[in-house]
Amino acid sequence: MIVPRTRRILATLFLCLLLLTTACTPKTPGRFDQAQQQSSQQKSGQAIAKDATQGSQFNKFFPNPQDGYQRVYTQEKKGFSEAKLKKAGKDLAVLSISDTQGVKGTSNPAGKFKTSTKSIAGYPAVSQGTTGTAVLVADRYQVKVQSRDPSFTQSDREAWIQKFNLDGLSRLK
Amino acid sequence: MTKPIQELVDQLPTNNLTVSALRTLDFIAPGEWQNVVGFVNTIKTVTGETDEDLIQQIGERAIYLYNDRSQGYQTAMWLYQTVDSTDRAIGTAVLANKVGEKIPLLGFLNSITPKAEKAQTIDLCLKLVVELVAFCQINGIPGDSIGDFVASLGEYSGESFIRMAALVCFDGLIPLGSGFADRALSWISQTSPQELEQNPTFQNIKDTIPGQDSGSKLNFIGESFNSVTGWMGNLVASHDLSPQKIANNLQGFIDFSGDKLDYLAAFLDVSTNYYEHTGTQTLARRLIERASAEI
Repeated sequence: MIVPRTRRILATLFLCLLLLTTACTPKTPGRFDQAQQQSSQQKSGQAIAKDATQGSQFNKFFPNPQDGYQRVYTQEKKGFSEAKLKKAGKDLAVLSISDTQGVKGTSNPAGKFKTSTKSIAGYPAVSQGTTGTAVLVADRYQVKVQSRDPSFTQSDREAWIQKFNLDGLSRLK
Repeated sequence: MTKPIQELVDQLPTNNLTVSALRTLDFIAPGEWQNVVGFVNTIKTVTGETDEDLIQQIGERAIYLYNDRSQGYQTAMWLYQTVDSTDRAIGTAVLANKVGEKIPLLGFLNSITPKAEKAQTIDLCLKLVVELVAFCQINGIPGDSIGDFVASLGEYSGESFIRMAALVCFDGLIPLGSGFADRALSWISQTSPQELEQNPTFQNIKDTIPGQDSGSKLNFIGESFNSVTGWMGNLVASHDLSPQKIANNLQGFIDFSGDKLDYLAAFLDVSTNYYEHTGTQTLARRLIERASAEI
């Protein structure tokens, strides 16, 4: 089939235009672009302070599970330690201790406790989202329990926070 | 520059050959692996939270943690990518438009070469060592005792579990047969450090394997493999896994005759990247868990 000349020219023009505009359209900014840009300016040390408490120091303050509960340590990094709480093979919650003074780059996690009106075992407490409850110990260490199953409620979280050795943690140097 | 973590997770395919191959293993642990893709979607899935402000905070913290190289996440990602990529000779572009139709293995017989048993064995062992090293890079060494550490390894679930099941099936049973673990152990004992050094994957990742020289790294590889043979044996026995059974399931989307298992193994090797795919998912999950606890 013979394509009329004008149509062919138009088609070529249109193609060029399409290529040009698609190539030049700026990428719509993503919601994490700023964090990506700021956090990639240095190679190392931008997220965790060098003198953050080692996660291994936190393990002994975790609750000792009884009555069919299981505690399985899952992560241990600088400034952070985490364990799963399980029962009958099911994940119920995540237990964690982190060093708020070790957190760099993003906003200081200890800040949210300043306006807290609640306390658990005498320590300032906050709720986060629908699944998290946390206390701040010695103005530094964040003890958090996050539900991973709907059966594990806010009152369960508060009860398990009190099973940590919070006073022992408050004396950690 | 390495790709941002949110991009890596956003770009995980919802359906391709890797995903199809992994789905054939669903019978081993039904529903255990969900192909969760997308950074924000993973945050929602892991934490169960829907509040956008909270999701933003978790995402930003995760990005910071990933980009801090002292935290080991980038090394782990590199390992998952590297151990998978050395063999990917058939361009994914050729196969990308094949999803949904049955792929005739016959059409690829000229472009794939089955590996010698020894090379296949080294591959299997190196993938396992990568798993162990990446685990420690991502999670540290959790707990205060060997028992705690072993318990944390035993927590393999979801994408980590399916990765190990795929290792047993696609890199063990199909290319090496039912006695793959014993054969691997015997090959390791006969391999010299010099031979190991000739392996391109080993050349790539050797700096991350514990040990001062190739000899001690080889020992570490042997010990690592030895320590999981029990777990692998249990998996095979409890699900009555055989090369034929795995191959039969794969016949749902690859067309091949039963006597070409060595070619099937080679084809899977070059056309899938299940280590990278599920490794990205594992890493994202752990990173998000940590971020969510720290914020």
